[in-house]
Amino acid sequence: MLKVENLHANVGDKEILKGINLEVKAGEVHAIMGPNGSGKSTLASVLAGNEKFTVTEGKVEFEGENLLELPIEERALKGLFLGFQYPVEIPGVTMANFMKIAVNEQRKYRGLEPLTAAEYLKLMREKSAIVELDAKLTSRAVNEGFSGGEKKKNEIFQMAMLEPKLAILDETDSGLDIDALRIVATGVTRLKTAENATVVITHYQRLLDYIVPDYVHVLYKGRIIYTGDKTLALKLEKEGYDWLINDYEEE
Amino acid sequence: MAVDSIVKLLCAQSLPVDGNIVDGAWVLNFTDDCDLVVERGQRATLVVVDMAGAHDMNVDVMAGAELRLLHLVAEHSASQIAVAVAEDAKCLITEIVTHGADTRVVASLVERGACFELGGAFVLTDEDKASVTVDVNHLAAGCISRTSYRGVASGKSHGSFSGLVYVSPGAQQTDSVQSSRNVTIGDARIETLPQLEIYADDVKCSHGATVGQMDSDALLYMRQRGLDLATAKRLQIEGFVGDVILHSVIEGVEEQLSELVAAKLNRL
Amino acid sequence: MGKDTKDILQELETSDYKYGFVTDIETDTIGRGLSEDVIRLISEKKGEPEWMLERRLKAYRHWLMMKHPDWAHLDIPEIDIQDVIYYAAPKQTKKLNSMDEVDPELKRTFDKLGIPLEEQMALAGVAVDAVMDSVSVKTTFRDTLAEKGIIFCSISEAIKEHPELIKKYLGSVVPYTDNFYAALNAAVFSDGSFCYIPKGVRCPMELSTYFRINAEGTGQFERTLIVADEGSYVSYLEGCTAPRRDENQLHAAVVEIVVERDADVKYSTVQNWYPGDKDGKGGIYNFVTKRGICREGAHLSWTQVETGSAITWKYPSCILQGDNSSGEFYSVAMTNNYQQADTGTKMIHIGKNTRSRIVSKGISAGMSQNAYRGLVRVAKTADNARNYSQCDSLLIGDRCGAHTFPVIDSHNPSAVLEHEATTSKISEEQLFYCNQRGIKTEDAVGLIVNGYAREVLAKLPMEFAVEAQKLLALSLEGSVG
Repeated sequence: MLKVENLHANVGDKEILKGINLEVKAGEVHAIMGPNGSGKSTLASVLAGNEKFTVTEGKVEFEGENLLELPIEERALKGLFLGFQYPVEIPGVTMANFMKIAVNEQRKYRGLEPLTAAEYLKLMREKSAIVELDAKLTSRAVNEGFSGGEKKKNEIFQMAMLEPKLAILDETDSGLDIDALRIVATGVTRLKTAENATVVITHYQRLLDYIVPDYVHVLYKGRIIYTGDKTLALKLEKEGYDWLINDYEEE
Repeated sequence: MAVDSIVKLLCAQSLPVDGNIVDGAWVLNFTDDCDLVVERGQRATLVVVDMAGAHDMNVDVMAGAELRLLHLVAEHSASQIAVAVAEDAKCLITEIVTHGADTRVVASLVERGACFELGGAFVLTDEDKASVTVDVNHLAAGCISRTSYRGVASGKSHGSFSGLVYVSPGAQQTDSVQSSRNVTIGDARIETLPQLEIYADDVKCSHGATVGQMDSDALLYMRQRGLDLATAKRLQIEGFVGDVILHSVIEGVEEQLSELVAAKLNRL
Repeated sequence: MGKDTKDILQELETSDYKYGFVTDIETDTIGRGLSEDVIRLISEKKGEPEWMLERRLKAYRHWLMMKHPDWAHLDIPEIDIQDVIYYAAPKQTKKLNSMDEVDPELKRTFDKLGIPLEEQMALAGVAVDAVMDSVSVKTTFRDTLAEKGIIFCSISEAIKEHPELIKKYLGSVVPYTDNFYAALNAAVFSDGSFCYIPKGVRCPMELSTYFRINAEGTGQFERTLIVADEGSYVSYLEGCTAPRRDENQLHAAVVEIVVERDADVKYSTVQNWYPGDKDGKGGIYNFVTKRGICREGAHLSWTQVETGSAITWKYPSCILQGDNSSGEFYSVAMTNNYQQADTGTKMIHIGKNTRSRIVSKGISAGMSQNAYRGLVRVAKTADNARNYSQCDSLLIGDRCGAHTFPVIDSHNPSAVLEHEATTSKISEEQLFYCNQRGIKTEDAVGLIVNGYAREVLAKLPMEFAVEAQKLLALSLEGSVG
């Protein structure tokens, strides 16, 4: 589904990603971990097409197409979803309206008729239940005045609405208390199918108790320096990154 | 007199009408027009005391320099202080007006990183008529300005604040805040004109203005604790104006400035 | 509202100024220029009584002594007052009694404009007075309204049929001495709407006037007078369009509203006069004086969405004369290309416990200039007056300007007045977020702008709100990318 080869990316003159290789297949869950500033969020942003970053080298294939050539919204319509670490506030634009447009753009792209108001309401009710999102929030402006937990739930709600092929969740667990974490993580798990894939970017093992990864990658200084299975996350939780980093630096 | 003690406290030397200012504390009896330059990288403190009459001052604050200016207006003057602030330089002003007067500060932020801050207050009584103007011109990108003015008008006085923040085309990443807060007592009149004129899109500009009365809950509370109404009012006004003094750009003279204002408040 | 946004987005791609057509109907005009004779001619053509002519001449003589004002933040090319046609009317020989008698070409015009002049009207519950060029073409629903004692007709008819009301109220809020264009209007106004709501009557439907300038070289000087008698209520809508022409056309209207004790008037405008082309050629000069006076306990609310006109220059105002009266002003002013707007409001607090609220949202794009100008004045008599003003500016692109010129003038120590203003742009983060959810940049901008203006749009009656949303998106065309 996603194939990243030797991806290099800069912000300004500074190289952040220094040769990322990653392959994600349908049905898989990948976790990307690593210390602060290692480039995790940058990787997510570059894949989504954030223009703050320039790709200087490498290839990214998504569903057999060159992802890097596509504008942001095309990537989204093709089924790439980014759960933002800091969801943006859009004053005055209601969640309901915002999502309706997004959902119908998605449907148009897939050659489907737009939803009627009734169908849309039904869908929204269904999907908001997955993350126990207060129905009242959908009539409020996008992310405006939402608590940290509500913002993150809202991201997963939107993911449920848009049914992406590949969801990249950027630190969706940060700033969540244990109950919110469980709700968000269970939501993600429920949306999991054999046809889609998830990349979870996180600092903590605790999210991976709920979203069990097939692979755990450690990102350090813009490269994936180690890949293991779910036990790696446990080991990292106990022992930190030093042992890996030391090995890497020695090489 | 309060001004004298400020000068003494700061060990301020008197400044010639024209010339260059270097590190140190200076005092200027503002009687004639003058042109001053704060040299590159210097840190100067200047007390400007308005004398009756009309006069202009031009100050260039050169790159990396910092000017802290205390402007005291206690006579019937019509003065203009124009400052041009260069790259990464700072001009910080505290202005206290306790007399009917016409004062104008025009700050031009001419190079990237220039910073201008002004905290001011006017306290008017009897038949005082004061008009204060603070115009800030953002002429280069990445400059910061802060203007905060408090006005108190009592008796039959008339106070007017006019503030303009002008952002020229190309002055992107301008960061500007302007606020005008005012209290009227008795038959006084207050006018405030906080204005924005903006020709660049990547800017953060806001302004706020209020005209209000004294907090009646606070007055009640103070009276309940045994203060008479006049004292309670005075205390409240002192607090309102005191904020400007508390944040004076020159430290160590708060007491003297309070004295200056207190003398005026006695006439409330 | 979802569907509407969708519509907007579709139209955004296809539409230019869609009201820019010209209706080909015979027009009865008089020659260009202004003189006492022209005024006599207008008055005569309208079959006015002598007292009305006298009023016009008085205004004209006063106007002769006035100078064109120049204090606005506007760049106004010199206007040749003598090059304007002061009277143009679709040719018609007799008064109309039913819809069928209206010139079919004219009817098509109103259809194109989307004014439901016919049966839809009943469903929409809107009574329309349509003013084409200078005369009022048709007032629908007059009978229904008459049952309640509501008078809704063209001002020329009112002059003939209700002279006592006109004599009492016309010019009572905006006297001819008020300003240059008010004086000009008082001298040459050719038509407009008149509305009277009797004591205690709640007008059962929205009343609406649609203005259109059709003929070439004409100025439109309509005059609207609304009188809401004690305890009554009315919601009044005004819409405007004009054909696309290379020359500039002058529109100098006067709207006067009298809100008697405990009455409530809501006046909404969606102004979409032709704004000129992308290079700033042509377009309407919209120089309008709008003012209302509120007696004791009365309430007046102005809502305006201004997307059209080459130059917009107006300040719908409230004189809060009576104790406990209140005024509101909600405005969205959008400028693109070379448009200019200097608009805002005046809230004059005279009575005790008077309240006012101002919410202004400016949107500037292209090379346009957009200014909010406001005055909040509290007279000595206005104990416990309260005002809250909020003026926001949104800039799209770095070649436009957004300006805020409020004046707060308090003569009473018990007044509490607050003003806040912010300036912002559409952030890269907001666009990225929308893009990431599959929404195109152009659509995202339309969405964000409508969100920004929502607080004001929400004040409009439903049908108008939908139209206003579309207009905002349309006016943004070509401003991003």
